[in-house]
Amino acid sequence: MSRSTALNAGLGPAATEDTVAAGPLRRPKWRSPKLRKKTELTILLAPGLILFVGFVLIPIGIAAYYSLFNWSGYGPLNDYIGFKNYSYAFKDPAFIQSIEHTLYLTVASVAIQGPLAIAIALLLNRKFFGRTFLRTVVFAPYVLPPAVTGVMWSLILQPGGFADQLFKAFGLGGLVQLWLANVHVVLFTVFAVLTWQYLGFGIVVLLAGLQGIPTELKQAAAIDGASPWQVTRRITLPLLAPTMRIWGFITVIGSLQVFDVIWILTQGGPAGSSSTISTYMVLEGVDSTDFGFAAAIAVILFAFCFVFALIYQRYALRRDTRGALTRAVG
Amino acid sequence: MAAFTQATAPDFLSRYGLRRWTVIPATYLVAIVGCGLTIVPLLFVVVDGFRTNGDINNSPAGWPHPWVAGNYTSILTSAPFWQFLGNSVLISAVATTLTLVLGSMAALALSQYEFKGREFFYTVFVSGFLFPIGVGALPLYLLLQRLSLLDNQFGVAIPEAAFALPITMIILRPFLRAIPGELRDAAMVDGASRFRFFVQILLPLAKPALITVGLLAFVTSWNQYLLPLLVLQTSSHFTLPLGTYTFQTQYSQNDAGIMAFTALAMVPALGAFVFAQRYLVAGASGAVKG
Amino acid sequence: MRSSRALAAIALAAATATAAAACSSGGGSSSNSSTPAATGSSSPSSAAAAPSVTLTWWNNATNQPLLGVYQNAIKGFEAQHSNIIIKDVPIQNELLQDTKIPLALEGNNPPNIYQQWGGGVLGQQVTSGKVDNITADVSSWIGGISGASGWQANGQQYGVPIDLHVVGFWYRKDIFKHVGITVPTTLTQLESDDTKLRAAGYAPIAVGSKDRWPDAFWWEYFALRDCPQSTVNSAIKSESFSAACFASASTAMEAFLKTNPFQTGFLGTSSQQGAGSSAGMVASGKAVMELQGDWDPSVMEGVSTNKNLSSELGWFPFPQTPGTAGSQTAVLGGGDGFSCTGTPQQAQACAEFLQYLDSPSVQAQIVGPGASGEPVVTSESSAITLPATQTAAAYFKTAAYQELYFDTALPTKPGQNLDTAIANYFSNPNSSTAAAIANSPSTP
Repeated sequence: MSRSTALNAGLGPAATEDTVAAGPLRRPKWRSPKLRKKTELTILLAPGLILFVGFVLIPIGIAAYYSLFNWSGYGPLNDYIGFKNYSYAFKDPAFIQSIEHTLYLTVASVAIQGPLAIAIALLLNRKFFGRTFLRTVVFAPYVLPPAVTGVMWSLILQPGGFADQLFKAFGLGGLVQLWLANVHVVLFTVFAVLTWQYLGFGIVVLLAGLQGIPTELKQAAAIDGASPWQVTRRITLPLLAPTMRIWGFITVIGSLQVFDVIWILTQGGPAGSSSTISTYMVLEGVDSTDFGFAAAIAVILFAFCFVFALIYQRYALRRDTRGALTRAVG
Repeated sequence: MAAFTQATAPDFLSRYGLRRWTVIPATYLVAIVGCGLTIVPLLFVVVDGFRTNGDINNSPAGWPHPWVAGNYTSILTSAPFWQFLGNSVLISAVATTLTLVLGSMAALALSQYEFKGREFFYTVFVSGFLFPIGVGALPLYLLLQRLSLLDNQFGVAIPEAAFALPITMIILRPFLRAIPGELRDAAMVDGASRFRFFVQILLPLAKPALITVGLLAFVTSWNQYLLPLLVLQTSSHFTLPLGTYTFQTQYSQNDAGIMAFTALAMVPALGAFVFAQRYLVAGASGAVKG
Repeated sequence: MRSSRALAAIALAAATATAAAACSSGGGSSSNSSTPAATGSSSPSSAAAAPSVTLTWWNNATNQPLLGVYQNAIKGFEAQHSNIIIKDVPIQNELLQDTKIPLALEGNNPPNIYQQWGGGVLGQQVTSGKVDNITADVSSWIGGISGASGWQANGQQYGVPIDLHVVGFWYRKDIFKHVGITVPTTLTQLESDDTKLRAAGYAPIAVGSKDRWPDAFWWEYFALRDCPQSTVNSAIKSESFSAACFASASTAMEAFLKTNPFQTGFLGTSSQQGAGSSAGMVASGKAVMELQGDWDPSVMEGVSTNKNLSSELGWFPFPQTPGTAGSQTAVLGGGDGFSCTGTPQQAQACAEFLQYLDSPSVQAQIVGPGASGEPVVTSESSAITLPATQTAAAYFKTAAYQELYFDTALPTKPGQNLDTAIANYFSNPNSSTAAAIANSPSTP
C-alpha cells in the first residue's frame, strides 16, 4: 500500500472508488482500506454508542413519552393528555419565575466564574512552592458532595452564624443580610455557594488546557521583548480559547440543570425566590408524584439545553476545528 | 537583563519595575483570600466532625467545645463504613475505567475519521448530557430490573459510565482533533499502523485531557447517590453517599456525623486528584517541535 | 506506554475484584421469594410444616431506638411463626418516601411490608394495583386499633397504623417560669405571652418555614378552629378550600402573623435538619415554643447539650379561638403504619406481623423510652416516658376528633400544592396569597 493511498483512504467516498490495486497483486476485497476503515470505526464507536443508547437515550426517550400522560407514577399509563402538561407548565407563573432564575444563574456563572477561573488557573500554572497543595485545595470543593455542601453552607449562613460573625469581625456588619430568608437576597446567596462549589472544576479544566500550550512559544515571545501581560494576552489566552469554550459549554449546561445544592439550601424558596427549573420539576413533579408533569419539565429543560448546544456548536465549537486539523487521519 | 527590560519593556508596570510591587503582591493577596474562602468551609466540615450536635446547635460557628473524637472513631470502627468504602472504590474504578476506555475509543472514532454522520453521532452523545438524570430514573430502574442488574455493583457502574460519556466526548474530541495531522503522516511513514499510532502516540499526547476526564468521571461516580439508591437493595452493597443518609432519620439530622463521614469520604477522591496531578503537569509540549 | 499499561492494570484489577464481588453478591441480594417447599426445620408447635414465607420489610427506622425495637420484634415474631422470615431493610426516610417506594410500586418486585403514612397518598398507591387489600386478614383485631380508618381506601383496609402522632405546642417550662408567664389557653393569651417573651429577648415561637409543611400546620389548625369537621372533610375530598370559613382562617392567621411571633429569618429555617433548625432553637433556648408533631422532643434531644431537656419540655394544645365555627378541641395529626404487597399468602403473613406490631408489648416498646408518638393501642400510652408527650397523649384521648395532616389526607400533588400555597402566604401575607390557598390543591 502506498503512502498516498493510505492518506487518501479517508477523504470521503468520491476519492476512493477504486482502492484495489490494479495489476498482478490484487488485494482481497476484505482487506481493502475502505472496509478496514469501516471495521475500525465500528469497533471504536460501537461499544460506547451501544452503552450510551441503552442506558441513557432509551430511558430518556421513555421519560419523554411519559410526559404525554397524566401519570402519578403508580399503575398503568392510561390518561393520555397530549401536550397538556407542557401548556400547564408555561401557564404557571412559578415555572416562568424558575426559568428566569435559571437564566440569571447561568449567565452569571459564565460571566463571573469564567474570568475568575482563568485568572486563578494562570496563577497556578507556574511552578512555585506548595503548588500541588494549592491545586488540591482549589479542587476540593468540587469533590464535596453537593448535598453536604448545602448542609454546610446552611450552617454557615444562619442568622448570627459564621458568615455574619465574619462580616462583623471585618467591620462590615452593615452588609449582613438574612442570607437564606430574604427573598431578594437568596438568589445571590445561592450563586455564591454554587461558585464556591464549581469554580475549582473550571480551574482544573483550564489548567489541563494550559498544559497543552507549548512553553517554547511563550519563551520565544518573552525573548522578543513581550511583557508577561502581553504574552498572556496574545499567546496564552488565544490558545486557551478552545478549552475555555468547552468549559463554557459544560458550565452553561450544568447551570441550567443545577439542583442538589439549591435544594438543600432553600428548596427553591422562600416562596420560590430561588427556584430553578430543576427544583420546580422536583417540587411540582417528583415530590408531587406527578411523573408525567416532571417528565414534561425535563423535556422542556432538555429543549433549552439542546437549542443552546446546537447554537454553541455551530458558532463557537466549530472554530476550534476549522484550521486546527489539516487533514483527517483515517 | 534588568536594564534591558527597563529600557525597552513595552508596558507600564515592567518599565518602572512596578511589577514587583503591584502584580505580584496582588497575586498573593488574591491567592490568600481565595484559599481562605475555599478552605474555611472545608475546615468547617472537618472540625464540625469533632463536635456534638448540641454543641453545633448552641454555637454554629464556634470551635469544638468539647472536642469529641467519637464521631470519627465510631465511623472508622464500624464495619459498614469500610464496606461502603470498598463498594465505592469498586464502582468508581469500574465506571472510570469503562468511561476512559469506551470514551477514548469513541472520541478517536469521531475525531480521527471522516465519515458521513460523524457530527450526528457526536450530537447524539452530547444530547445525553442535556437531560436531567433524575427524571430518567424510573425507566432506568425498570430497564435494570429487566436486565437483572439490580442490587449489583455493575448495575451502578455501567449506567454511570454511560452517563459520563457525554462529558468525556465533549472534552476529549476537540483535544484529539487539535493534534495535527502531520503527526499521523510521520507515524505512517515510519510504518506504524493506525492502531499503534492511536495507542502509542495520540493517546499519550492527550494525557492531560484523559486524566481530566478520568478524574471527573471518578469524582462524579464517587459522589453519585441516585444510581446507587435505585439499584442497590442490600445495605452491604451501599456506597459512601448512601452511607451519608444513615445520619438522617425521619425526624432529625446528625450534622456532626454527616460532617465526620463526609470528611472521611472525601479523602479517597482527593487522593485520586493528587495522584492525577502528577500526570496533569507533564505536558504535551514538544510533540510538534520543529 | 505507561498510561496504557496503567489502564490495563486497573482494568484487570477491577475485573478481578468485580468477579469476586459478583460471586458474593449473588447470594446476598434480597428477594421476595415465597417457596412452597416445606422446610425441614419446623418447630414442634406446628404439626404440619407450613410453607415458608420470606418477607422484605422496608421501614425508616435507620437509627436507635426504633431500629432495635424492630429487630426485637422480628425475633419475637419469628419465634412464634417458624415458617415466616422477615428481612429488615431500614432506609432513610426521605429517600424511602419520595423515591424508593414509588419506584418499587412501579416495578415488579415491591417490598412485602413497606412504610405507609395513609390518607390520600395511600389511595394513590392503591391504584398501582400492587397494594394488598388486607381487610379480611385484619378484621378480627383492627377494631381495637385507633386511627385505623386513616389507612383505608374505598372503605377497605390497605394498611395498618402502628403509632400515631399529634401536633401541638412544645414549650420550655423553665423559660416560661423565668419570664413569668403561664400556659395560654386562648389565642389572645398566646399573643400576650409572645409579647412578654420578646421583651425578654427570646424568639417566642420557632417555625421551620423552609420545609413548608410546618407553615401548613399553622394554617390547618386555624382552619380546624374556624371550620366545622364536615366542611373540612368535604373540602379535602373535593380538593378545594373555597368555603368561606377557610378565608376567615387565613385572615385570622394573617392577624396572628402581624404580631411578629416567629424567630428572625424564619423563612429560611428548616424544621428538623440538625443544628439551626426550629427544633434546635427551642432546644438551645433561643426560641421558646414550637407548633410541631410529637417527634419534636427526639429531634431536640439530638441537638441539645442540655441533659435536663426532657424535664424542661412541656406541651399544650393549639389555643382556642372562642366564638369560631370549628371545634375547639380538634387535633391535627397522623401516624406511621405499613402496607402489604405480594401474594395472598404473603399478605396474610404480613397482616400477622402487623398484628404482632400492634400487640401491647411491642406497642409499649414503640412508644417507650427514646421513641416518639402515641400507641394505637391506647392502653399502652402509660409506656410513654416523656412527661410532655404524656400530656399530649392524654389530651389526644379527649380531643373531639383527629384530622390527618391535609397534605397526607389529600393525594400527593394537591397536598404539595397546598403546602406551597401556604408557604407563599407565610412569606407574603395578603389577600391574594390567601385567596391562592383556596384552589391550590387542584392547580396542576
